[in-house]
Amino acid sequence: MNAILTMPEMAVTALALGLLVLDLWTPADRKGDLGIAAIGGLALILAGSFLFGAGAPQYAFGGMYVLDGMALFFKRLMLGVGVVALAAALEYSKRFAAGTAEYCALILLAVSGMMWAASANHWALLFVSVELMTVTFYVLVSFERTRMPSLEAGVKYLILGALASAFLVYGVALVFGGTGTLGFAGDSGPGLGTGSVLVRVGLALVLAGLGFKIGMVPCQFWAPDVYQGAPAPTAALLAAGSKAAGFALLLRVLLEAAPDWALEMRPVLMLIAGASILYGNLCAIPQRNLKRLLGYSSIAHAGYMLLGIVVLERAGAAAILFYLAGYACAVLAAFLVAALAFDPGEPEEIPALAGLHRRSPYLAAALALSMISLAGIPPLVGFFGKFLLLKGVVLAAFDSRSFGWLAGVALAGIVTSFYYYFGVVRAIYWSAPAAERPPIAVSRVAGAALGACLVGIVAAGVFPSPLLEAARLAAGALRIP
Amino acid sequence: MVEQQIWQYAPVLILLLVALGLIGGMLAASAALGPRGRRPPIKDSAYECGMLPVQPGGGRFAVKFHRVAMLFILFDIAVVFLYPWAVVYREMLAGQAPAVLGGVLVFVGVLLVGYLHAVRKGAFDWRG
Repeated sequence: MNAILTMPEMAVTALALGLLVLDLWTPADRKGDLGIAAIGGLALILAGSFLFGAGAPQYAFGGMYVLDGMALFFKRLMLGVGVVALAAALEYSKRFAAGTAEYCALILLAVSGMMWAASANHWALLFVSVELMTVTFYVLVSFERTRMPSLEAGVKYLILGALASAFLVYGVALVFGGTGTLGFAGDSGPGLGTGSVLVRVGLALVLAGLGFKIGMVPCQFWAPDVYQGAPAPTAALLAAGSKAAGFALLLRVLLEAAPDWALEMRPVLMLIAGASILYGNLCAIPQRNLKRLLGYSSIAHAGYMLLGIVVLERAGAAAILFYLAGYACAVLAAFLVAALAFDPGEPEEIPALAGLHRRSPYLAAALALSMISLAGIPPLVGFFGKFLLLKGVVLAAFDSRSFGWLAGVALAGIVTSFYYYFGVVRAIYWSAPAAERPPIAVSRVAGAALGACLVGIVAAGVFPSPLLEAARLAAGALRIP
Repeated sequence: MVEQQIWQYAPVLILLLVALGLIGGMLAASAALGPRGRRPPIKDSAYECGMLPVQPGGGRFAVKFHRVAMLFILFDIAVVFLYPWAVVYREMLAGQAPAVLGGVLVFVGVLLVGYLHAVRKGAFDWRG
C-alpha cells in the first residue's frame, strides 16, 4: 500500500472540496478571492510536483496505480493547464449570475481526473478516471445555463460522451473476459498478446472510447459543436487537458498493454491518423467562428499526434509528449483571447476580431503568435513538434513504403492549415473594423496566464532542448516490451 | 477455452428463443383466432377496475420535487456502498486497519461536504 504516491491527486481533490466548503461562508462580493485561492493552491501543487523526480516506476493499490516518468510529465502538464484554465475561468465567470466557486471546483475535479488517468495501470482505474473527467465536463460545458449554444453543446457532449463511455466499458469487459485480468502490464499482470477474438474486439471498442476523448476520426463529430458552444475556459480545458489525458491512456494501452495488437492494427491506425488530418484541416477552412475553427483544428492536431503512435516507438511517444505541451500553450492562449476579446453573449466570429490590435495590442499579438505556432512556423514550438512527429514517419518510410503516403498526407494537411490560421491573423491586423469599439482592459491574472502561455510558445520553440529532454525521459519510462 | 465459455451461454440463447416463440405465438394466435369487428374508442378506455382519466398526463411539477428526488437517490446509493464495507470490516481490521477505516472516512467525508453544500445552498428548503 503506497497511497502516499497519490498525494498530488489527493491534494487537487481536497482543494476542490475545500473550495466548495469555503464558498458556503463567503459573501457574494468576495467570490473572486476564492478563484485566486484555487489558482494559488494549484500552482503550489505544481511547484510541489517538482520536489520529487521520477525514478524507477512505483506502484500503489496493488499495481493499479503507477507513478513513472511519463505519469509525472502528464501530471505537471495537466496542473499547468489547470492553472491557466482557472485564470480564464476567473475572468469569464463574471458573466455567470452565480457559481464562480462551483465552476472552479469542477475544473479542479476534472484536472484530478486527468491526473488519475495519467497514472492508470489498470482497466478499472482507466474507466473511473475517464468518467471523473467526463462527468465533470458535462456540467462544465453546459455551465452557462442561460445561453442556448452552451446548453446545446452540453446535451451533445452528454449523449455522445455516454455513448463513448459505453464503448469503453464494454471493451474493458470483453478484454477482462478474454484474459481474466484487469491489469495492464508490469507488476500487475502480463501484457496482452494478440489474444483471442474477445480481446481484439474489446481493444477495438476501447480504442473507440478513447478516440472520443482525443477527437480522432471517426469519433470526432462532437468536437466543433462542443468547442463552439462551451464557455471558453471549458473549451480550453477540453482541448489541452482532456486530449492530453486521452493520449496518456492511449500510449499506455497501445504501447504497454497491447503492443502486439497495436502492431497488427497499424494500417487502421495510419488510416485514422490520415483521415483525422484531412478532415480537420479541410473542414476548418470555411469556418467563421474562432472557437469552431479551433474545434476542427483540434481534430487535425489529434491526427498529427497519432503519427507518433503509429510508429510504435519511444521516439514517437516522446514527440507526442513534446507536441502536447506545445499544443497546450498555443490552444490555451487562443481560448484565453476568445474569453477576453468578445463581449458577453457575442458569438466569437472571426471578422469581429478586426482592429483587435488597436483595442488591445497584447491580445492581438497573443492570438497571432498562438495561430502561427498552431500552424507550425519556425521558430515557435508548434514547428518542432510537427518536425519530430514527421521525422518519425519519414524514418519509418525508409523501412516500409506504406508510410510514404501518410507523410505526404500530413504535409498536405499542414500546408492547408496555413490558409485558415493566417486568415485569423489577417482578420486581426489587415481588415477594417465595421465600427470603432472600446479598448479591452486585461486583468492582471488573465494577463499573467496569457504571458505564461506565450513564454512557453516562444521559449520552447527557440530553446527546445529542456522540454525535449523531459519528453524523452518521460517516454523512456514507457515499458515497451 | 473461449469457445467453451461461449457455449456456456447456450441455455440463455435457448431461453431467449423460447420467450420470443411464446410471445410471437400468443400474438399470432390472438390475431388469428380473436373476434373481428368494429373497435369504438370506448373499448380502449378503462373498464370496471380503472379510473376514467380526468386530464392529460405530463402536467407541470415544481422543480423542487426533482431536486429532492435527485439528492435522495445520491445519498441513498452512497449508503448502499457502506454495506459491503461493513461486511468485510471485521476481517480487514486485523491486517489493513488504516486502509479500511481511512478509506471509509474519506468516502463519508466527501459525502459530508456534499451534504453541507446542499444544506447551505438551500436545496432542502421546501418553500424556497
